[in-house]
Amino acid sequence: MAGRRSLSRRHFLATLTVPLVAAGCEKPRYDARRFTRPSRSAVGLYPATTYSTDFADVISRGFRDLGVDLRGKRDLLKPNMVEYEPGTAINTHPLVVAGAAVACQRAGAIDVVVGEAPGHRRDIEYLVTATGLLDQLKDHKLRFVDLNVDDVRMVPLASEFTALKQMALPAEVLKADYVISMPKLKTHHWAGMTCSLKNLFGVVPGAVYGWPKNVLHVHGIDASILDLAATVRPHFAIVDGVIGMEGDGPIMGKPRPVGFVAMGADPVAVDATCARVIGLDPQKIPYLKTAGEFLGHTDESRIDQRGETVARYATRFDVIPDLEHLRR
Amino acid sequence: MALTGLQKELRSAVLAARNADGGWGYQAGKSSRLEPTCWALMALARVDGRTLDAEVLRQWPTDQRWLADVPGAPANIGFNGLAALSLMSDPRGSAGAQLIGRLILAAKGKRLDQSTVLRQDNSLQAWSWVDGTFSWVEPTCWCLLLVKKLRRQLGDEAEYRIRIGEAMLRDRACLDGGWNYGSSNVYGQELFPYVSTTALGLIAMQDHATDPVVLRARERLEADYASEPTPMSLALTAIALETHKRPRDGARALLSKHLSSPSIATSTLARAMGLYALTDSADGRTAFTL
Repeated sequence: MAGRRSLSRRHFLATLTVPLVAAGCEKPRYDARRFTRPSRSAVGLYPATTYSTDFADVISRGFRDLGVDLRGKRDLLKPNMVEYEPGTAINTHPLVVAGAAVACQRAGAIDVVVGEAPGHRRDIEYLVTATGLLDQLKDHKLRFVDLNVDDVRMVPLASEFTALKQMALPAEVLKADYVISMPKLKTHHWAGMTCSLKNLFGVVPGAVYGWPKNVLHVHGIDASILDLAATVRPHFAIVDGVIGMEGDGPIMGKPRPVGFVAMGADPVAVDATCARVIGLDPQKIPYLKTAGEFLGHTDESRIDQRGETVARYATRFDVIPDLEHLRR
Repeated sequence: MALTGLQKELRSAVLAARNADGGWGYQAGKSSRLEPTCWALMALARVDGRTLDAEVLRQWPTDQRWLADVPGAPANIGFNGLAALSLMSDPRGSAGAQLIGRLILAAKGKRLDQSTVLRQDNSLQAWSWVDGTFSWVEPTCWCLLLVKKLRRQLGDEAEYRIRIGEAMLRDRACLDGGWNYGSSNVYGQELFPYVSTTALGLIAMQDHATDPVVLRARERLEADYASEPTPMSLALTAIALETHKRPRDGARALLSKHLSSPSIATSTLARAMGLYALTDSADGRTAFTL
């Protein structure tokens, strides 16, 4: 349009993003005393080349390897369900979700709930039906909560990367003893990669903030991921890396088979490992780099590999040209 | 008016889900929220053939004069628009509707410099979900419809905001007709229109039935609605077709079918929207018709 300034993607994002690297004199974005992390984190990578895999077995094995004990716990599984388009790889596959639910029950969970607040589509009935999740919920007698419209409570944010201070969060998330982030492994045209940390956008209630959760974009995608991760502190991550999405993710990209499930109690370490698998450098993904300073580990030397190696699944994902700089 | 068995069932389910404070949550047993309360009030008034009594909305807690959906959270501008449309159906609600109308008139989506990755005019400030964010299709539709209904009371500024709101909807229309939630093209990729947002766009643009963008959207909706067979999408489809005086029997038949065998994901909101859309107005007037 004549006379109007044009913005490139980076400039566009710069208008949205609160810089994560604060000037030297700026106050810290988090109180380090509030965040303790183990000296090392374990991440498991397990083979799953197709969706006919017995995911309950795969995930149970991961739980055993990683010492997960869910006895007496109420678990919330938080898959990534954004949009449905046949033949694409947008959402966490329902069979992975069902397998995780069964594995949680085997590990002693007293209640397993599946909850998601789709950020792009508000018609949850359409999404759960079209994606096939509804059939799995029925088959396994699982309760589903549309986190977009659940009761909410205003919660002070545990860090200050955004200027939000507090956020409405769903009651179901707040009352869960054990929150498992279950993302689809995808590139993301704004954030670089979406995995277990970015998946937390899906606990923000659309009925409060709208569809999409634009308030998170305005306050900075990276900053919002960090505040949500610091506040929700998911206990565990299970990544659907059977078929990921490369290119213009998280919706318009192309399916890319990778053939694994990644798991771990340190979502930062899980995401860093997944980034390495798809050929991205976690230290170059701003939110992940910062998360590695206080929420978990991105440094390979602090991550103990269980199951298979990163090299076994290494698959160089296509990325949009603006994200080439994230390559390892 | 004789009610069908399904209407009776839906009416009972909606009534049973009412909270002690007079409002409705999205699901039975959940706290009262604006959106399901509005739809439940409108549906019950329509099915009972009576004037809407929006006492619960007139008494709704406020925060800086907005109806507060969640205490402490930012006001939801879109659902305030819906609430004002509901209040307009209550003879005692017009003052409240006008107050919200004035707030909405003053509310604008955030302006952004032009982007090379989004095919849209970022200068168009229509309506956002919450203050300080960008304009999106759904809140713009509710607010635009409200401002159109209140244009005589709201004065010249209303005419300006209507022009901008309509320009935003035309600008965001998908290439093949209809609307996504916001952008229609990102990184050169055409985004899909959705049934629910396309229906909302048509409701808000019902006074431009021959506009090519509106015509394309209507064709898109009539072609696509069966592909998203959920109560929410089908209810909005039936309402949109009603406002455009188009046949809606097909959408209503599908809606009846799906509400007759609800899934575990069928909410109180969906039942109330469905009940509203399946019931004819006793006097031919609706909250969504200009």
